Amino acid sequence: MTPNDGVCVLLQEKAASLGHTVTHMRVVSALLIREMEARFGSKPGGYLWALLDPAAHVLVLTIAFQAIARAPALGTSFPLFFATGYIAFQFYQAMVSYVNAAVRANKSLLSYPNVAPIDTVVARYFLQFATTIMVAVVVLGTIAAWMRVPPELSWLPILEAAFAGSMLGLGIGLINNVMFVKYPLYEKIFSIVNRPLYMISGVFFLPDMIPPPYRDIVLLNPLVHVIMRFRTGFYDEYRAIGLDMGYTYTFAFLTLFFGMLLFSASSTLLRNE
Amino acid sequence: MIRLEQATKFARTRGISKPIIDGVSLVLERGKSIGLLGRNGAGKSTLLRLIAGTIRLDSGKIIRRGKVSWPLGFQGSFQGTMTGEQNVRFVARIYGVDTRELIDYVEDFAELGPFFKAPVGTYSSGMKARLAFGLSMGVNFDYYLVDEITAVGDANFKRKCRAVFDSRLQDSDVIMVSHSTTTIRDYCDSGLVMENGKLTYYDDIADAIRAHNDNMKER
Repeated sequence: MTPNDGVCVLLQEKAASLGHTVTHMRVVSALLIREMEARFGSKPGGYLWALLDPAAHVLVLTIAFQAIARAPALGTSFPLFFATGYIAFQFYQAMVSYVNAAVRANKSLLSYPNVAPIDTVVARYFLQFATTIMVAVVVLGTIAAWMRVPPELSWLPILEAAFAGSMLGLGIGLINNVMFVKYPLYEKIFSIVNRPLYMISGVFFLPDMIPPPYRDIVLLNPLVHVIMRFRTGFYDEYRAIGLDMGYTYTFAFLTLFFGMLLFSASSTLLRNE
Repeated sequence: MIRLEQATKFARTRGISKPIIDGVSLVLERGKSIGLLGRNGAGKSTLLRLIAGTIRLDSGKIIRRGKVSWPLGFQGSFQGTMTGEQNVRFVARIYGVDTRELIDYVEDFAELGPFFKAPVGTYSSGMKARLAFGLSMGVNFDYYLVDEITAVGDANFKRKCRAVFDSRLQDSDVIMVSHSTTTIRDYCDSGLVMENGKLTYYDDIADAIRAHNDNMKER
């Protein structure tokens, strides 16, 4: 082999890997369109439903808590307090429940050789992230417009929390895609463990209010930090005692790493059944 | 050209492990239409999926020169909740071909009428086969992998398949699985016989069919 051949091979490999990237991008965008059609195009109202669900949720919480408490734990607006908690939580929760079924919901499309299982996950991640952001803008924007003194936003914590929450959802979703197929029992266990997260993640309370020994236990849940971080972007005065984003990132990237490993080791399983 | 190098794949379910191909090396040259023969459960469909690249070998390599289609079966690669049209559009997007052109071609070929805009889950197997066949013929491949698809459908559909295939086969090749030796003899000029994890290539399809029939007599 002359040096020239070596360059040629190298170029060919470069071209091939570029071709792969182009294919992945094409497939992900095709899947994105397909998922959007399935999720929003199949029923009347379409995209509105994505908004209506969290809006109704915040409304119910507001009515219920206004009846039993005089002021929310932070600020003066019940809707803002619950909406910041609920939407921060949704960056994880809506993500995980949508990504969980990514491969399963696109099983038949995996019979096309250029559709890789990971593409279905990537497409669902982007669609869900964009949807939750839109929900956040509309719901929080509406609430802020109604307030006499609108909150002063600091964007960095808001975006950081949204990103971290969605990464947690993606990592756990990746793991679940494999584990749900491998161990049907795990699916049951996951839903039992995941459901109460809503209650203990600080959507309608502040971890700061909990006395020390118990607070440390609550803070073990990475979602608590996501919600705290999100709220610091809306409440200037919020001190967020015990907030540790490093912990959340460590947790998120460990699940991502583990999820990727599982995913690439199980490609045959994911394609077949 | 499709080249298998020491290609090995075992089917594994619940502790049972059975060879589909075991250390197979062979070259399939361009310009040959190949019929794939083997007994029930020999792994013909799995081999097609290996060639397509949807599943991976346990060891060894498959090298493909040219564009290889997805394995074309009447079970379909279709998402049942999507309409026929949406499925076609999806394929156009992932293969980077013109969406409008492909839709027009498939709509015309499959003759589904209003059902083209209905979910594929409501189709009969004949309708699915027409859609699948039209769809793959609308995208240009060098190799078409066909799994029993021509068995479904009425005489009219078979005639149409035949016609479009004949024009496609001018510059494309086919690798076809069918239990009907008549179909195989009709479409293919050479053959591959699968038996106990071994693949044997016959330049003449008649020899392949004979070898296959001998295998069937043994057990």
